[in-house]
Amino acid sequence: MVTRNKRKNFFDAPFGKFLMNNKAFAILIVMALIVASMSDVFLTPSNLLNLIRQVAYSVTLAAGYTLLLSSGNIDLSIGCMVGLVGVAMGKMLVSGVPIPLAIFAAIIFGALLGTLNALVVNLFGLPPFIVTLASMSVFKGVTYIWTKMVPISNLPKAFTAIGQEYTFGIPNQVYIMFIMVIIMGFILYKTKFGRYALAMGGNREATRLAGINVDRMNVAVYATMGVYVAIAAMMLTARSASAQVSAGQNTEMDAIAAVVVGGTPMSGGSANIVGTVFGCLIVGVINNGLNLMGVDANWQLVAKGIMILFAIMLDVISSKIANNMSKKRMANG
Amino acid sequence: MSEEVILKMEGITKLFPGVRALDKVSLELRKGEVHAVIGENGAGKSTLMKVLLGIYHADEGSITYKGKKVQFSSPLNALSAGIAMIHQEISLVPTMDVAENIWLGREKLTMKNGMINRENRFKMTAEIFKKLNIDLDPRAMVRDLSVANMQMVELARAASYNADIIIMDEPTSALANEEIQTLYRIVHDLQAAGKSIIFISHKLEEIFDICDRVSIYRDGHYVDTRNCNELTQEELVTMIVGREITQQFPKQESKIGDVVLEVKNFNSLGVFQDINFTVRKGEILGISGLVGAGRTEIMRALFGADPRDTGEVYLDGKEIRIHNVQDALNAGISMLTEDRMRSGSIYTMSVKGNTTIASFRNFCSKGLGVINSKKENEAFEKSRHTLEVKCASENQLIKDLSGGNQQKVLIGRWLMTNPRVLIVDEPTRGIDVGSKSEIHRLISQLACQGMAVIMISSEMAEIMGMSDRILVVRHGKIVYECDRKDATQETLITHAFGAQKTKKDA
Repeated sequence: MVTRNKRKNFFDAPFGKFLMNNKAFAILIVMALIVASMSDVFLTPSNLLNLIRQVAYSVTLAAGYTLLLSSGNIDLSIGCMVGLVGVAMGKMLVSGVPIPLAIFAAIIFGALLGTLNALVVNLFGLPPFIVTLASMSVFKGVTYIWTKMVPISNLPKAFTAIGQEYTFGIPNQVYIMFIMVIIMGFILYKTKFGRYALAMGGNREATRLAGINVDRMNVAVYATMGVYVAIAAMMLTARSASAQVSAGQNTEMDAIAAVVVGGTPMSGGSANIVGTVFGCLIVGVINNGLNLMGVDANWQLVAKGIMILFAIMLDVISSKIANNMSKKRMANG
Repeated sequence: MSEEVILKMEGITKLFPGVRALDKVSLELRKGEVHAVIGENGAGKSTLMKVLLGIYHADEGSITYKGKKVQFSSPLNALSAGIAMIHQEISLVPTMDVAENIWLGREKLTMKNGMINRENRFKMTAEIFKKLNIDLDPRAMVRDLSVANMQMVELARAASYNADIIIMDEPTSALANEEIQTLYRIVHDLQAAGKSIIFISHKLEEIFDICDRVSIYRDGHYVDTRNCNELTQEELVTMIVGREITQQFPKQESKIGDVVLEVKNFNSLGVFQDINFTVRKGEILGISGLVGAGRTEIMRALFGADPRDTGEVYLDGKEIRIHNVQDALNAGISMLTEDRMRSGSIYTMSVKGNTTIASFRNFCSKGLGVINSKKENEAFEKSRHTLEVKCASENQLIKDLSGGNQQKVLIGRWLMTNPRVLIVDEPTRGIDVGSKSEIHRLISQLACQGMAVIMISSEMAEIMGMSDRILVVRHGKIVYECDRKDATQETLITHAFGAQKTKKDA
């Protein structure tokens, strides 16, 4: 009884509640402590800055994905879309298009690609999984054909600065990342668009019968994802100072993993944008730690997979425990 | 019916931390009887059944089955001892055929020479159907069956276990009158074969129709067991609720005004034809008929949820165009849909989110659509207050609410759109007696305030008790119309079935 009362107080306290809602944070701390205990370098400011610079791209992508997944959709094409949009941006920059215009055009391009996915889904009533599996291949092929497999380099200095320079000692990418996360948080929790997306993810038919045009919502959600893809592509291209033909490939899986570890369910209906950031940081810490320990790159893949599984298991188990406890509490109260 | 007792549960107490879900509860079942188990939601009926089936273990008390003390470890264990349960939700595999479903998990029994034998499986299934007098094709795919026929498959499956006790949890909740009759017949056949049936239901008239005895439970306590033929509906209701419900259908007389809505020439190929009707201000228009007659489809087309081939809608004499739900909502037509779980509640959302979703644009700024939380909260609090929704907080998820409360939240959702015409489709299905009369009272009040209400219901008592005027739909056509004072259960059923009416008292 004593322990139960103690726990009850703990989970009712603001911090306890925060932990229950953001288990990814707890997992992140555990992971960080493990890595810190094994590597002296990990906690140095320069390594931490490096770490956050590395995750900025995936956080941006995953922020967009949080909306997509919580609206009950899935998009397998975003990784290859990053490559295609990046190449488009690179082509424009190399041919002398002013940087702001190139970025703006890339955002429009990303939104259009997303719209295309949504339109095929809507018009033919096909499952998004299949449609985006197909468009993934199309995007990849177009990128290869367009570039003839040659990466685009010699990008203007002012552009690469977005990914490589610092402002007030903090990487520029980190600012962009924060802005994109805050915008997404605002969309999800403070706007009609976000509420409708969550409703659609929770029960599409009920949402339609509440007078919401779910087809149009679908387009809006996929287009927003496209915008986030474009911003992420910009960050990636600027950081590597070139548009690589295979840039972004497979990152859709990392994004899904991070979003789910962060507490947004695969089935949709609710979203945890802060959790997404923690989810990306977990993946980042794992990568960084394995790097610091000099683990072979192929083994890193294996380790990363196991860690992601572990994180999700931890989440599921702790939810079950919390659920049981809240049932007991309800019974007591 | 013999006096032989097949099952006796005595002094069953089940404690959950902090609550006594069951407090010294009893149930006595005789061989060959149909025994109703009744009580409001939360009275302990399902807990008691779970104790019987071994899903829960009782903290006190004993179960005597066929003269021996038993304690089942799981439903499977209970099943092999001869106790089968048919759950309220259909638990068949839709992509398999009827025979496969019946023998699912017991394929061994239908095998020949150690191999799966489809023909033999069909043959054995047909035998079971024949014994039970069920007219169904063993080869039919379950997903193509009506809900009623699925229930028949469930019944046949339970019977095929040679169970001595069959527990039915609200078996008629999705059935129309005709199908209920078939179910009754099968229940009687099973009874005649010496099987005992535990019948869980919210519908009182059913209990008097089919059950021999009834055990009543309230708040985890056992109230009484009575013979059905020595009991009146009023007495039963009093025992269930523990207070007097003076009127089951608290209809207030409302002033009926001008025609608000007129539907003309609605057609949808193969679904409904030549639908014309009007609804007046303050009127409750009851739509009766069998499940699958096209009642829901007509109303969904009016609400813009499904397309139609032809048809005009007039509101206050002016034609309005309805192509989608948004059009209907803008015109002032709302619809509480039939299937709360599939097309009503958004389970991942809070009570508040579920209430405000259909009128959400009113709580957002123009342009960016930024939520005005204060406005939303106020609107929700108002709705919660008027509908007396019982929830812990505005952020509680709707899925944690009882069926009756969920329905109130959904009614609140539609009232928030300020409808002139409110369509309600099976508004009280699967809801306990208390919430049911609350919802009836509410609908009646709305009509009194001048709303035009269209109510689809498969429950005869509800239709007769609530409607000012009644339409009967059969095979996608309106076949009969009458006023409240002229309505008799007989005529409505006759028209619903399409039988020729013998005019003996004309």
